[in-house]
Amino acid sequence: MAVDTPSQSVVKAAGDSVARGRSRGTGKPRGAAKRSLSTHWYAWAMVAPVTVVIAVIIGYPLVRGIYLSLTDANERNVARSIGVNEIPATYEFVGLDNYADALTGSQFLSTLGWTLLWTVSCVSVTFALGLTLANILNRRIAGRSFYRLLLILPWAVPGFVSVFAWRFLYNQDNGLLNKILAGGGIDAVPWLNDPTWAKFSVILVNVWLGVPFMMVALLGGLQSIPGELYEAAEMDGASAWQRFKHITMPGLSSVSTTVILLSTIWTFNMFPVIFLLTRGGPGEATQILVTQAYKFSFEVSPRDFAQSSTWGVLILVLLMLFAAVYRRVLRKQGEVW
Amino acid sequence: MTTTTTPPTRRAAAPSHRAVPNAPIRGRRSPLASVALHVTLIVASVIAVFPVLWVLLTSLKPAKYAITTDFFKETTLENYTNLLNDTPFLTWFANSLLVAGLTTVIGVFISATTGYAVSRFRFPGKRGLMWTLLITQMFPVAVLIVPIYNIMASMGLLNQPVGLVVTYLTIAVPFCAWMMKGFFDTIPREIDESGYVDGLTPFGTFWRLILPLAKPGIAVTAFYSFITAWGEVAYASAFMVGDENLTLAGGLQKFVNQYGAQWGPMAAASVLIAVPAALVFLFAQKHLVTGMSAGAVKG
Amino acid sequence: MRRGIAATALVAALGVTLAACGSDSGSKDGGAKGSGELSGTVTWWDTSTVGSEDKVFKKVAEDFKKKHPKVTVKYVNVPFGEAQNKFKNAAQSGSGAPDVIRSEVAWTPEFADLGYLAPLDGTPALKNSEDFLKQAAASTHYKGKTYGVPQVIDSMGIFYNKKIFKEAGVEVPKTIDELKTVSAKIKQKTGKPGLYLRGDDAYWFLSFLYGEGGDLVDAEKKTVTVDNAAGVKGFKVVKDLVDSGAAKTDATDGWNNMQTAFKDGKVAMMINGPWAVSDTYAGKEFTDKANLGIAPVPAGSAGQGAPQGGHNLAVYAGSKNLDASYAFAEYMTSAETQATVAKELSLLPTRESVYIKPDVATNEMITFFKPVVDKAVERPWIPETGSLFAPLVTEYTKVLTGQTTPDAGAKATGDAYRKLLKDWK
Repeated sequence: MAVDTPSQSVVKAAGDSVARGRSRGTGKPRGAAKRSLSTHWYAWAMVAPVTVVIAVIIGYPLVRGIYLSLTDANERNVARSIGVNEIPATYEFVGLDNYADALTGSQFLSTLGWTLLWTVSCVSVTFALGLTLANILNRRIAGRSFYRLLLILPWAVPGFVSVFAWRFLYNQDNGLLNKILAGGGIDAVPWLNDPTWAKFSVILVNVWLGVPFMMVALLGGLQSIPGELYEAAEMDGASAWQRFKHITMPGLSSVSTTVILLSTIWTFNMFPVIFLLTRGGPGEATQILVTQAYKFSFEVSPRDFAQSSTWGVLILVLLMLFAAVYRRVLRKQGEVW
Repeated sequence: MTTTTTPPTRRAAAPSHRAVPNAPIRGRRSPLASVALHVTLIVASVIAVFPVLWVLLTSLKPAKYAITTDFFKETTLENYTNLLNDTPFLTWFANSLLVAGLTTVIGVFISATTGYAVSRFRFPGKRGLMWTLLITQMFPVAVLIVPIYNIMASMGLLNQPVGLVVTYLTIAVPFCAWMMKGFFDTIPREIDESGYVDGLTPFGTFWRLILPLAKPGIAVTAFYSFITAWGEVAYASAFMVGDENLTLAGGLQKFVNQYGAQWGPMAAASVLIAVPAALVFLFAQKHLVTGMSAGAVKG
Repeated sequence: MRRGIAATALVAALGVTLAACGSDSGSKDGGAKGSGELSGTVTWWDTSTVGSEDKVFKKVAEDFKKKHPKVTVKYVNVPFGEAQNKFKNAAQSGSGAPDVIRSEVAWTPEFADLGYLAPLDGTPALKNSEDFLKQAAASTHYKGKTYGVPQVIDSMGIFYNKKIFKEAGVEVPKTIDELKTVSAKIKQKTGKPGLYLRGDDAYWFLSFLYGEGGDLVDAEKKTVTVDNAAGVKGFKVVKDLVDSGAAKTDATDGWNNMQTAFKDGKVAMMINGPWAVSDTYAGKEFTDKANLGIAPVPAGSAGQGAPQGGHNLAVYAGSKNLDASYAFAEYMTSAETQATVAKELSLLPTRESVYIKPDVATNEMITFFKPVVDKAVERPWIPETGSLFAPLVTEYTKVLTGQTTPDAGAKATGDAYRKLLKDWK
C-alpha cells in the first residue's frame, strides 16, 4: 500500500519504513520523539471519525459474526425484543462444528469453485479490456474525450438501474438480445434460464460494469509514464510490442497490482449483480459465496445466522490469505506494495 | 520493476488540467490502424451505452409496449407524467439525494482527513488502520445486514436518512481514504513544511494548503461516494419502509419485483435516476483520470 | 483552521438535525387504554399487488377513520417478496415493526412460533369468528391460540384464453394427459405454447405434486413425504411437461414473464390464483373480460389437487396500540369490508356470509374459485411450513433446467427437510 515516490522527503521515507516493516507492533517512534505527542494528537483526531464509524458499524458486527459462527444461533434461539417482551438468547456454543460442516460438505466447496471461476474470469477479462481501451485512449485519436465519456458511462449509472436494463435485454421471450439473434436466424438463447448460459451472462454484466474503473485507473497509470521514454525507445528502433512490454507494462505495474487486488476483493463479494440478476439461480448455478451467505441469513427460514456467519468468516479468511499471498509474491518479484 | 522507475510525479503537485496529456507522439500510424482503433472504440462505446440507451427508449414508449422490442413505438412522455404525478417518486428522489449528498460531503471530508493523517504522520495504530481499511472491504456486507439493523434499531436510526448515511460511509470511506492517502503521497512534503514555518497547525496546513491541491482526488472520492450511496440496494431496502421514507433503490422495487412488473414507470424512473449520477460524473470526470492515477496508482 | 472547525461543526450539526427531524418509525403514540374511545395510530403493512390491488386496500383501510375518528391508519405497502424479511427484521429488533401485518398463511404459524404475534383469543379482532370458513381459519391457530384473522383465501386453477382455445378447436384439459394433447394441438394450430409453468417458484409445482398423490410432509406421522414414490412422480410430471413442449417454463422473472405472455396472448394457459385476476384483466387479450376462462387444475394419476393459500391479518405482539390494532383487524376482515374487496378485486372472502351477498354471488371468478377452495389441499400449519419452499424451489428449478434428475431432486429436497425437521422420518 505504501509506495514511496522519490519526491517524498527522506524523513518520510524513513518514517514509512516502520509501517512497511514486518513488525506487527504499532510502531514505537524511533526518534523524533519530541514532536510525536502533538503529532499523534492531530493524527488521531483526523482518523477518529473513520475509526469510530468503522468500529461501531463494522467492528461490532464482525466480532459478533465470528462469535456466532462458533454457535448454533438461528432465528429461533437468538435474543429478541418484542415490545415489552424480551426473549433471551438460548443458542449454544458448538466450537468449530460449523466450520467442519462447511469445509467437509459439498455445498461450500462447489460454491467456492464457481466463486473462484467467477472472480478469475471477471477480473482477467475486465483487466484485459480495460488495458486495451486505456491504451487506445492514451493515443492521439480524434474524439478521444467523447469516447472516454461514453466508455465510463456504465460506472456512472447506478448498479440497480443497469442490472435492470440487462435483465430486460436478457429476457428470453421479449428481450432485445434474442430478438437480434432471431434476426440473424439464431434460436433464442436462454440467457438466464440455463445454468451455463446464466454463468456466462452474469460474468458479462459484471465485466460491463467493471471495465470503466479498470480503464480509468490504467489510463491514469499510462498518463504518468513520460512520453520521452517512448520517444527514446522509438529512436532506438523498438517495435510497438517491445515498447509495450518494456515501457508500458513496467510503468503500469504499480497501478495494476492495486486495481487487481481491489477488483478481486470486490468481485469476490459482488453481491448486487448476482442477486439482482439471477438471485443465484437457476437452481444454485450462479450462487457465489456471498449470495449464499445472504440466503442463509435472509431467505431460508428459520434464518441460519450461525452458518451465514461461518461463511462470512471463511470469505474474510480466504480474501486475507489472498491478499497476503499476493503481497508476498509481489515482494519476491521486487514489487513494493 | 519497482516503482522507482516511475519518475517523480510532480504534475499532481501542480495540477494542470491538461486536456491533452502526454500521449506518446507517434505520427506514423497507418490509416488502417486508425480505422481499427476507431472501430474498436465505437464498438466498445456502443456496448457501454446500449443498455442505458435501451432503457431510455423504453421509457418513451407507452407502458403496454414496454416489453416489446420495437425501438420506437408511439413516442410519449406518459410514463414520466404518470411517474411524477401518481407515485411518490419525487419523495424517494429527494430522500436519495439527501442520503447520497450527505454521504458524499461527510465521506469526502473524513476520508481526506484520514488519508492525510496516514500519508503524513507516523502514529501508533496507523498500520492497523491501513489493514482495517483493506479488510473492511473484504467482509461480505450481506452477512452484516441483520447485526447492523439491530445497531441502527438500538440507536433509533431505522427509517432515517442518517442511518443509511452512516452505513454507506462504512462502504465508501475505506476505498476513499485509501485513494486520498495515495493522492496526498504525491504532494511534496515541502508544502507542509512551509505551512509549519508559517505557524500553521497540521490541521491548518491540511485545510489551507494541501486540500486545495487535492481537487482531483476529492473529485474522485466524491464521485465514488455519491455513486455508492446512490445505487446501493441491500441496506436501503432492509432499513427503510413506507413510501415517505424510501430511497430510490427501495422505491423502485415496488415497480418491478418478483410479483409484479410495471416496466413503463420503472424505465422512466431509471432514466431520471441516472441523471444526477451523470451530472456528478460530468463534474468529476475531468479529474477522474488524474485523480485515479495519483490515488489508485500510488495507493 | 477556523474554516476547518466551521466545516466540522456544520457536518455535525447536519447530522444532529437530521436525526431530530427524521420521521417516526411506526406508531408509537399509544392508544387509549380501557373502555375509552380508540385513538392513536395503527400502521398496517399490506402486501397486495401495487398498481391494482393496493389502491382498493388503501382506501378501505383509511375508511377505518369513519368508524373511529381518533384513529389514524398509516397504510404502508410492502412488496410481497420483501414483507416476510422486513417484518422479521423489525419484529426481532423491537423497532420499526407495524401494528398489523398482512401475513401469508404459511408465515402466520412461523411468526407466532417466533413470538412476534399477539394472541387474539378473546379480543375484538375475532368478532363473529364462527362465520369464518374452517379452512381459512386453520392457519391462524398455533399451539392452542389464535394468531391471525383470515382476510382472503385462495387456491389455483387453470386460466385459459378462450380465443386461442377456439382457434385450436380444443376443450379445457381435465387431466395431465389431456393437457399434453391439448397443448400439442394448440402448438400445431397456432404455433403458441400451451401452458406457462412458472419454474422459479415451487408453489406452482404443488398442484402437480398433489395430483400424483404426493405431499411435502405428513405432519401427523412426522414423516417427510416429498421424496417418496409419489413425490418423485410429481417431479417427473413437470419435467415431462417441459421436455415434451407441452409447457413453457422460465427460471427467472417467472411471474412477470408468465403474466406478460398470457396477457399478450402468447400462451394459451397458465396456472394461477385469484390474486392474478385483476392484473390479467388489464392485459390486451382480456379487455373483453369474457375471454378469460378458468377451470380446475388438471388431475394427475391420483386425482386433482390444488394448494390452499391466502392471507391473514396478524397483530404485532410489540404494538403500542393493541386495542386499536385488534379493532382494525376486525374491521378489515368484517363481512362488509370483505364484500367490498371481493366486488372490486375478485378476491375470495373468508366468511361464509359474504358469499351469499348479491355482488359476490354473481362474481364469475369467485363462484368458480369457491368450490376449488373447498376441495383445495391444506398444508400442515406448522412453523416450518414457510421454510419448506426454499429447498424445494432450488431443486424444482434444477429439475426443470436439467441440472438434476427428478429422483435426485426429490431426494435432495427430502434431505433438506429432514435437516430442518429434526427427528422426522
